[in-house]
Amino acid sequence: MAASMHGTQTTANALLSIRKLRKSFAAIEVLKGIDLDIGRNQVVGFIGASGSGKSTLLRCINFLEEPTAGEIRLEGELIGFSDRGGKHTKLSSGEISRQRRQMAMVFQQFNLWPHKTALENVMEGPLIVQKAPKAEVEERAVGLLKKVGLEDRLHSYPSRLSGGQQQRVAIARALALQPKVMLFDEPTSALDPELVGDVLKVISQLAEEGMSMVIVTHEMHFAHQICDTVVFLDQGVIADIGPADHIFGGTTNKRTLEFLSRYLERNG
Amino acid sequence: MQSGYEWDFGVVLQYREVFLRAIGTTLALAVTIIICGMILGLVLYLLRANTWRPVYLLITAIVEVLRAVPPLVLLVWIYYCMPILTGLSLNGFQTGVLALSLYSAAFYSEIFRAGFQSIEKGQIEAAFSVGMTRTQILRRITGPLAFQRIFPPLVSQCVLVIKNTSLAGYIAVAEILYQGQQISIRTFRPLEVLTIVALIFLAIILPLTFLANVLEAKYRKKYFG
Repeated sequence: MAASMHGTQTTANALLSIRKLRKSFAAIEVLKGIDLDIGRNQVVGFIGASGSGKSTLLRCINFLEEPTAGEIRLEGELIGFSDRGGKHTKLSSGEISRQRRQMAMVFQQFNLWPHKTALENVMEGPLIVQKAPKAEVEERAVGLLKKVGLEDRLHSYPSRLSGGQQQRVAIARALALQPKVMLFDEPTSALDPELVGDVLKVISQLAEEGMSMVIVTHEMHFAHQICDTVVFLDQGVIADIGPADHIFGGTTNKRTLEFLSRYLERNG
Repeated sequence: MQSGYEWDFGVVLQYREVFLRAIGTTLALAVTIIICGMILGLVLYLLRANTWRPVYLLITAIVEVLRAVPPLVLLVWIYYCMPILTGLSLNGFQTGVLALSLYSAAFYSEIFRAGFQSIEKGQIEAAFSVGMTRTQILRRITGPLAFQRIFPPLVSQCVLVIKNTSLAGYIAVAEILYQGQQISIRTFRPLEVLTIVALIFLAIILPLTFLANVLEAKYRKKYFG
């Protein structure tokens, strides 16, 4: 099973394990104690209303947000802090960069670098961060752009690409780092409806290949299709968790059912 | 022409070698000030952006004072007062470089600030998420992006620096306007001299702004089609 039901039972070889995670912004507590294990080769979906904390949770995982309390471990390694001597001290920015490389993020707004071509966007990480040889990086980058169906747009700047194409470049950019887990933050929310399909297709393909992924999404149908486990977040806590079929079919959790019926009303 | 004034550039043009040397001095001043001013401006911006509050307040105060004081006052103050206060005295050229670099650095730092602030946070987060360090992000992402956006105001500021070099004439640096005044005293031809001075500045600045416009149009077309 992808994630332990209540996070109390530790999966010994969990890829990601999150314990008692809290995050506050000033006086507002957005995450109020999250416990979750995510296994290798699993696809975990985070669903929930805006403000439920799902994006914040994702951003805490790769330390774009610094947790207020609790801990996140990737293959047992504490993220963002050193726990030598039982005390948590923040890691140097170089150490944090090294950890981030193992978790690639895909953003809602794509966030491609506008002064670099599609190919250069994909090559930047391996070239500058991993300092891999250029010829090798380029070959791999071309392969990745082919994989996301953009082999004919290698030298286009982001401004010349549609939203869907930009997001697929962003996915290739994330894959180029050969990450242990991919983090998707509402990857299709900023896209025109007719462009959503291409992006989802790429993500589904990654799921089939066994890539470990955490996906924050509003696409319930998609979440049902590709997620092994779905986590329903409500007001900063995990309100419901289980296999996709359970959340979208068998759950008796009142808050989940309410959320899903509101979603269905809006989206037919 | 009813005024009866007879223009005579011939007398003034006898001094063309003096003008040529003055052009050299002005260009040397301008280039040095632009380089020093930009570097100092970048340092001021980085100190202001990244450190704790006392440093932030100190740097902000320095920038505000440098921006508010007339550059001529700064120049005269460094030339005459600094030796009295510190025992350190600079020649005219060095004083011009120091005063006008400080003055322009305040403006450059504000331009850099505007440029870096205009970069979307997401593009920086994307760089963090691929594991880049702060230095790598500055060099590869925010630096080039900010530079493109601030290119037009940066060129304007450089034009101002070139024109402000004429203030150094006040402390007898032999730049174009100073030499022009010397020549006009000797020839009693201030109108011709000042016209030539203006033409020289135009000849220096116009190609520069033209080149800047061409470059700007080129990168706009490249990145934003």
